Amino acid sequence: MAVGWSEKDDHELLTLIQAGSHYAFEVLVRRYTERFYRLAYRYVQNKETAEDIVQDAFLKLWQDPGKWQSERNNKFTTWFYRIVVNRCLDWQKKKRPQALEDELSLPDEGGTLDAAIMRRQEQDRLEQEIAALPERQRTALNLCFDEELSNQEAAAVMGVRLKALQSLIMRAKATLRERMRAYL
Amino acid sequence: MSDMQNQKDKKLEALLQSRRFEPASPDLAERIVLQARGMPQNQKVSLAQWIRQLFAEFHLPRPAYVLAGALMFGIAVGLNAPLDTTPEEADSAYVQSFLYADEGLL
Repeated sequence: MAVGWSEKDDHELLTLIQAGSHYAFEVLVRRYTERFYRLAYRYVQNKETAEDIVQDAFLKLWQDPGKWQSERNNKFTTWFYRIVVNRCLDWQKKKRPQALEDELSLPDEGGTLDAAIMRRQEQDRLEQEIAALPERQRTALNLCFDEELSNQEAAAVMGVRLKALQSLIMRAKATLRERMRAYL
Repeated sequence: MSDMQNQKDKKLEALLQSRRFEPASPDLAERIVLQARGMPQNQKVSLAQWIRQLFAEFHLPRPAYVLAGALMFGIAVGLNAPLDTTPEEADSAYVQSFLYADEGLL
């Protein structure tokens, strides 16, 4: 790869991608694959599916780089987060909804199950409950627990004000607190 | 808020922070790049994009001002042009004399 390409900012890289540069595309992909994969995984909870979603999103960007419009003054990451989130939500809509278990199979106090199994159950239940949240609350939660995204940027991704985002997170947490009470 | 409530909040926060995560395959970026190499880019350009590119090509910083300026310049040139056009009657007299001269030849 040409020296200096990795120092180029996203805007420069996207302009070059629009001109057909594979090098620029490679730099952009290497820069952000992990980050967008992490977000996709939060939604789909499956490595292969998350990888497919990120791969498709990047390939669509390569095929149609004109979709990114710099003059709209939004950051590439904000715009691309939105694309990945939409793809994840589409995938979830197509997927048959998973029924939540009515009864919480909690370990008894005597401790017949070991800590690892209990932890696993706790995490499974949490993921089920997050998946059952309303779409916007789920998105707010997933975006805000991504350490590389500020709340301000998360609000921009969702196209809402910061206050609205905070309210969505509060409601999501209140619901989870209620539904996960057996584990808290 | 009670201490118990606080504890629950902290526990939930900790649960959310430690959500299950499986790292991506190390070659994911590589796969995406390789797949893109075999894919053509869509070069379809919309009319709006074409106009934007045209303006970008000519480096017009503010197209509206430039077009308005060009229009004003055109009007100014038009107003300053010398009024040496022949009046309509003189013009028709010239055409008639030309026609008669033509008939004379016949």
